[in-house]
Amino acid sequence: MLKSMYEWLDKRIDITPMWRDVADHEVPEHVNPAHHFSAFIYCFGGLTFFIVVIQILSGMFLTMYYVPDIENAWKSVHYLQNEIAFGQIVRGMHHWGASVSIVMLFLHTLRVFFTGSYKHPREFNWVIGMLLFFVMLGLGFTGYLLPWDNKAYFATKVGIEIAASVPIIGDAAASFLQGGEVVGAQTLARFFALHVFFLPGILLALLGAHFFLIRKQGISGPL
Amino acid sequence: MSEKKEQKPSISRRRFLTYSIASTAGFLASGVLYPMVRFAIDPLLQKGSDTKFVDVGPADEFGPQPKSVEFHIQRKDGWYKKPGGEKATAWVMKTGSDILALSPICKHLGCTVKWEGGGHKDHYYCPCHGGLYTKDGTNVPGTPPNAPLDMYETKVENGRLMLGAVKPRGGA
Amino acid sequence: MAHNHDGKDKEVHYVGDSRVPQNKKKLYPKDYSEYPGNTEPFFPNFLLKEWMVAVVVLVGFLALVMAEEPPLGEQADPTNTGFLPVPDWYFLFLYQLLKFKWASGPFVVVGTVIVPGIAFTALLLAPWLDRSKERRPFKRPVATSLMLISLVAIAILTWEAEDEHEKQLASLPKGSSEEDVKIVDQNDPAYEIYKNQACVNCHGEQLEGITGPPLKGIGDAYSAEQIQHIMDTGKGQMPAGMFQGTPEEKRKLAEWLTKQKTGKPKSTEH
Repeated sequence: MLKSMYEWLDKRIDITPMWRDVADHEVPEHVNPAHHFSAFIYCFGGLTFFIVVIQILSGMFLTMYYVPDIENAWKSVHYLQNEIAFGQIVRGMHHWGASVSIVMLFLHTLRVFFTGSYKHPREFNWVIGMLLFFVMLGLGFTGYLLPWDNKAYFATKVGIEIAASVPIIGDAAASFLQGGEVVGAQTLARFFALHVFFLPGILLALLGAHFFLIRKQGISGPL
Repeated sequence: MSEKKEQKPSISRRRFLTYSIASTAGFLASGVLYPMVRFAIDPLLQKGSDTKFVDVGPADEFGPQPKSVEFHIQRKDGWYKKPGGEKATAWVMKTGSDILALSPICKHLGCTVKWEGGGHKDHYYCPCHGGLYTKDGTNVPGTPPNAPLDMYETKVENGRLMLGAVKPRGGA
Repeated sequence: MAHNHDGKDKEVHYVGDSRVPQNKKKLYPKDYSEYPGNTEPFFPNFLLKEWMVAVVVLVGFLALVMAEEPPLGEQADPTNTGFLPVPDWYFLFLYQLLKFKWASGPFVVVGTVIVPGIAFTALLLAPWLDRSKERRPFKRPVATSLMLISLVAIAILTWEAEDEHEKQLASLPKGSSEEDVKIVDQNDPAYEIYKNQACVNCHGEQLEGITGPPLKGIGDAYSAEQIQHIMDTGKGQMPAGMFQGTPEEKRKLAEWLTKQKTGKPKSTEH
C-alpha cells in the first residue's frame, strides 16, 4: 500500500534521488564519535538543531494556552504551568531549552572556530551561522518578556534603554521595540509577534541555507 | 515504512540498522511529544467543574405561563473569571407543582428562543430558522430543531428557586 | 554514485541532472576518499550514532526539566521600585560591560555599540580576517588566542555580574518592617548634604531606595567608618567616588546616616 503510493509519487516527481542523496552520502570517520571519542565535538551542531526542534514544538504547544496581553499573559502562564497536566514540563522544556540551545550553539561555534572549518570554501556558511547566532539571541531576548513577570518586565526595560543609547538609530530602534510610549501592552504584543512569527521564520530560512550548504560542501576534512 | 515482515532466516545488517534507527526515532519523538500532546489534550480529560445552584428569586413568583429570568453564573474559564459572573437566562414556569426551567438556546443552531415570539401562540419561537417548541420545550416536528430544549436542574430552598446545571433531554 | 536510477520509466525526464550542476573543479572532497580511514553512509549507520547521542542528551535534558521548575515571578508591576532587573544569563556579560566607567555615562556607546560591534563584526568576518590555509588551532596563534581571551573575558564578566546580583539581592530589605521605619532627624544639615549629592538620586528623598537600596535603618548595619568606606569605594551597583563633597561633609553625612536606626533593636525596647 505504502509502497504503491510511493511509486505513484516517484513516477511523477522522481523523489528517489532526493532522499538517496541525503541518505547515501558518505560520512567521514573523523566526525564519528564511534571511531574517536573526541569526535563528539562534531555533534554539537546536530544537537543544537535537536534542541531547536524541541523549542519549536514546545513553543507551538505553549501558544495553545498563552495569551500575549498584559492583563492575561502572566495569568495564562501561571495557569498552564500549575493547572494543566505536564504544563510545568512543557514550559520547562521551553524555558531550559532556551538556555541549552544557547550553550549548544556556543559549543558548535567554538568547534567550528577552533577546527578552522570556517575557512575557504565555507566562508559563507560561517556568516549564515553567525546570523543564526544573532537570531537565537533575539529569540532569547523577545521570549524573556512573554511571561510578563517582574523579571521579564524590568530586564526588557533595561534592554530597550540599551537599544536607545545607540547613536543615530537608537531612538528609532527603541521605539520600534517598545511599540508604545511605555513598556506595556504594545511592547508585549510586538515581542510576541517577533518571537513567534518573524524570528522563527528567519531562523528556519537560515537553517535551511545552513544545511543546504553543509550538504553541498561536505564536512570539512580532518585536521 | 510498514512493510510486511518477511520470514527470512536472518535479517540483513541494513534492515537491522533501519529498525534500530526507527526505534530510536520513536523514543526521541515520544520523549519529546508525549508531555506536549498530553498538555494539549488536557481539556478533553479534565472533568467539568460542578455547577453550583444559583438563586434566581422566590419560587412562588412563577405561574403556569413561562417567564424569563436572568441570573449570573460564576464560572472560571481557565485563568479568566468574568467579574460579576456570566449572564444567563432561563424560561421558568410551573407545571402542576413542579417547576420547569428551560434553557433558551435553540437546539438547531444555538440562537435564542422566545416564548410566543413572532406571534406564535403557546409556542417557543426561534427567529433564526423558524424553529418551534411546545410549552414544555418539546420541538415541533417539521421545524428545524431535532431535540427538545435543554432543562436546568431546579430545586426550591426556603421558598427560593435555585437553578443548577443544564441537562440535555435527548433527540426526538 | 549515490543516485540510483533503478531503470524504471519515469514520466518526467530531466535533461541531464539539472539539480546537481556539473562542477569541473572540485573545491572540496565529497567522498573523503583522499583521507585515510573509513567512511560510512549517512543513513542508517551514521544517523543511528547521531541519534544515540541525541537520546543521551534528551534523557539528561528531560531530567533537568523535571528537576527544576521553570521560574515564574510575581506578575509584572511597573510601579515596583525595589526590583533588581537582571537579564537572562547569556546576556549578563554585556550587561556587566556597561558597568565599567569607560563604558557608561557619556561613554555608554563604547559598551553598547563599539565593543559588541567590534566583537560581532570580527566574528562575522573571521574567514576574511584569518585567511591562511592553516586550520589547526595551534598553527594560528592570533586567532586562537584572541578567541580564548574573549572567552575568558566573557566568563569573568558573567561571573562578576552574577556575583554582584547575588550580593544586591542579599542587601535588599527583607519583609514588611521597612514601612514603619522613619527617616531620622531630617533637619540635620547632613540631610542637605545628602540631597545635594548624587546619593538622593538612587537612594531617594526619604532614604526609601529607588534604583539603589533603601538607607532607612542603615545605622543598624554599618558604622560611620564603614559608610565612608562605601562612599569611597562603591558597593554592588554603586560606583566608587560617588560622594564629591569635602571630607568634612562626608564625615557629617556618614554620622547622620548611622543615626538611621530602625529604633527597634531588642536592647532598647525593654
